[in-house]
Amino acid sequence: MSKLFYDHLISLDKLGVEIKGIVETPEEREELWRVVDEIVHHKVLGCVLDRLPQEYHDEFLTKFHEAPYDEGIIVFIDDKLDVEDSIEEVIKSELAKLANEILQELFDG
Amino acid sequence: MTKAARKNRDKKKVSADKLRSKLKLKHLAVKEKLSGAYPHVDRFFKSKNLDPGKIRDHSARVLGAGAMAGMLFLRPPSGMLALPSPKEIIEKFKDEKSIARVRASHRLLVNTLNSVLPKRPRPLTRQEEKFLEQIFANIAGVKTRATLEGEHLNTTYGYIGAEQHLRRYPGDTLLQHGKGEMLKEGIAPGLGAWGYFAYSKKEMTPYLEEVEKWYAVVQTLYLPDWNTRTRYLREWYKYRKVLIVDVDNGRAVVASVADSGPAAWTGKHFGGSPEVMHYLGGSRYKKGRVVLFFVDDPENKIPLGPVDYENVPIAGVIN
Repeated sequence: MSKLFYDHLISLDKLGVEIKGIVETPEEREELWRVVDEIVHHKVLGCVLDRLPQEYHDEFLTKFHEAPYDEGIIVFIDDKLDVEDSIEEVIKSELAKLANEILQELFDG
Repeated sequence: MTKAARKNRDKKKVSADKLRSKLKLKHLAVKEKLSGAYPHVDRFFKSKNLDPGKIRDHSARVLGAGAMAGMLFLRPPSGMLALPSPKEIIEKFKDEKSIARVRASHRLLVNTLNSVLPKRPRPLTRQEEKFLEQIFANIAGVKTRATLEGEHLNTTYGYIGAEQHLRRYPGDTLLQHGKGEMLKEGIAPGLGAWGYFAYSKKEMTPYLEEVEKWYAVVQTLYLPDWNTRTRYLREWYKYRKVLIVDVDNGRAVVASVADSGPAAWTGKHFGGSPEVMHYLGGSRYKKGRVVLFFVDDPENKIPLGPVDYENVPIAGVIN
């Protein structure tokens, strides 16, 4: 099994369609999928760490390392945040921005 | 190759290269931004000997090592109840007055699935999968396995998304894949994970036509042992028969695995050919909640395509 605690928050369909429409081989396609996966991952980590008070960073990283799939991590983060917004909403909105940014850079630039 | 085709191919190639380099630059930028802002994150992952970019592989290893199975038996995931026996649950819904005579089996299957599955897809426990194997055999009349010959997908319950037709042989075009609504999704510009189905149109067989028509996409690329057992797994998954059941309407189809994907960040876990998707949910069906199990069919007797189980006698329960 392969799952990350934030998988249900990602839906970068449009980018997927664009990539599929450009590359020619399955190997190329999978290579680029992995690159996007890593971009998303770094973005989500940044997004969480930007908002989580520093004293909880190590606890978050340990939880993430031990059970990267555990959606309970979201509950942990929400408990430590001062703001009312759930981290789920923040991640969703940041990833939507990221997708637009990538698409714009790729196809308008 | 004509001059125009060559020009088009070169143009495409440049675009693919540009796409790759832009994505890699973006990757580098977000990675550096994170390391710059939070150097202790780098130190943390280094101390664990883990490349944060490979976190998905790490997750697969953690789960695959059996931690999940052990943990799940001790602490059921949220939304999972103690499962009654398949017979009990079938009896319960059979007796409900709400079951119309028409499409009764579909309703029975939908009610059963929704009584045991969480609303939001997640990997199922072994216990839940065993239960569903019995349900599919009893109601739909198809013998399935979540784990077949030791192989198991990353998840057996997830979202399926619409795919395009696949090129079956060099020179294949969209218009040769049917007509009307079946052509709406178009044809994928690249090949499926197993390449062409045949070297030429002449070598196409009715079986291969059916395979493309009723094809499924599964995430072989994220299998924890894909990189170490590639050759074996490639062969094992090629055209492997799977049963796909939409948990919201009970429609079921037997499909064959003919491509790898979708990417994890699309929010989907499986893909279906235009024909598969059309059967599962009609012309507007682009995404649906499904269970996908391997079909246990060593003698290759179960045909690809829709499973019409309306008249299948339900084993031991309904005559």
